[in-house]
Amino acid sequence: MESEPAVEFRGVVKRYGDVTALDGADFTIARGQTVALLGPNGAGKTTAIDILLGLRTPGDGTVRVLGGTPRHAVADGRVGAMLQSSGLPEHAKVAEVVDLGRRLYGRRRALDDLLALTGLTAVAGQQATRLSGGQTRRVHVALALAGDPELVFLDEPTVALDVEGRRDFWAAMRKVAEAGCTVLFATHYLEEADTNADRVIVLSDGRVRADGPPSRIKAGAGVKTVRFAVAEPDPAALRALPGVTGADVRGERVSLTTADADATLPALYGSGLRIKDIEVAGGGLESALLSLTGDAAAHGEGAAR
Amino acid sequence: MTAFLGFELRRTARDVRFLFFLIAFPVLLYLIESGTAGRGDPHFATRFLASMGVWSVMGAGMWASGPQLCRERGSGWIRQLRVTPLSDGAWLATKLAQGCLMAVPGVVLLGVTAVLKEHVHVSAGAWAALLVLFVAGAVPFVFAGLIIGLRLDAQTGQVAQMMVLIVMAFLGGIFLPLSIMPDALRDVARALPSYRLASTGWDIVDGHALRLDNAAVLVAWTAVLAVAAVWLWRRESSTG
Repeated sequence: MESEPAVEFRGVVKRYGDVTALDGADFTIARGQTVALLGPNGAGKTTAIDILLGLRTPGDGTVRVLGGTPRHAVADGRVGAMLQSSGLPEHAKVAEVVDLGRRLYGRRRALDDLLALTGLTAVAGQQATRLSGGQTRRVHVALALAGDPELVFLDEPTVALDVEGRRDFWAAMRKVAEAGCTVLFATHYLEEADTNADRVIVLSDGRVRADGPPSRIKAGAGVKTVRFAVAEPDPAALRALPGVTGADVRGERVSLTTADADATLPALYGSGLRIKDIEVAGGGLESALLSLTGDAAAHGEGAAR
Repeated sequence: MTAFLGFELRRTARDVRFLFFLIAFPVLLYLIESGTAGRGDPHFATRFLASMGVWSVMGAGMWASGPQLCRERGSGWIRQLRVTPLSDGAWLATKLAQGCLMAVPGVVLLGVTAVLKEHVHVSAGAWAALLVLFVAGAVPFVFAGLIIGLRLDAQTGQVAQMMVLIVMAFLGGIFLPLSIMPDALRDVARALPSYRLASTGWDIVDGHALRLDNAAVLVAWTAVLAVAAVWLWRRESSTG
């Protein structure tokens, strides 16, 4: 049914022995969305994708993919996937591997189109195991798209790619998304999530810490700490500087939190204060997570979803 | 599924190690042995044809599912296949079909060599029976290969497959006749599927009636290996 969500992931718990990979992770993805599952290593991203593909079963919670069980969606060829690490078979040419994928899905796409879409036409006759890391990933992309899927799962798809490879990869994915395919990709690069997703789900320690448009997540990640020393600091004046959200003063040492370091720093230098030993820290995913988790703690569990 | 079978067979046909160990090696050994040990004795040449066929069949069966599976589990290719519509059952059926079909080229080439070089005469019915025996005879070895492939890593898997092949061949009376073995080893041989497969082959080329005890031992081995392989395979693919 078209109206059903592409993915329902409700209260999913998964433990490996003493390690809790997912601890009540909860999200729903509507059809047609391109969603980033963002989180540091060990956040539970791969476990979530494995569960969505039916490669693992959750300890608790409900998971539905395209209105049915994950294994059904896979068996019906409605889902494509790029796993984090997977080799290619020996003694097979690139075109043969891609053609196998296409045939397993019932030949919904022409081989030449699939090779062209993934930039493999030039290496189609080569042995698959002799490809470079980036080209190997292209074959995985071709396999993921071989069945013209309604939904694709991509687990850290660009890790082995160089800049050009990433650009080509996302260009291909945009085409797929424009055709109506739902895309869920795991990444630990904030920039990648920001640039390519309509929505970012931040996963950390097996829970969803934030869920929203990339701009909001990025705003959280923009938080930086500016530290310096100055004689007789005035906390009220420092808090009034543009972008500053907090000031911590201990003797001559000042620590400012700012949402916009680019505005704070010129204002600080322009204030006439004789500042010394300045350093700017933070930014990136870790600080985003810190700020988002702090946010979640302040607003209770509900705000994190 | 036929697409996957075709893909797997094409890959095997390009595998030089397979071509050497399971096609070239038994044919060469057949030529050497029937010239030396057999000294042109047509009876020896006929029986040794069946013996070498068993070598080829055992290897073909294990090749499809043994060390190659170890490597493909390690590389993640098997996981990649599991997220396509290829079902687990279709995968297993393909491995069985692949093992059986891969026995054919070695056996056929041995037959052709036997006829052309050693002027072996066997009835058309016996040729057909031999081919059926050898194709079906690959089944227990596919399961043995699956056990290796599902249980071991690439290096140990390779060694294990060669060990099984060599032990089965020597103790099964493939390389040396049972008559020169000590009694204790002869009892071991009688318990092995390699000996029972060869023994059935010898009965076919000699025009003897097929023996039930041979069939019973082969079926028992197939059943035990199948149960073990399927159990391991379910555990491996279980979504824990």
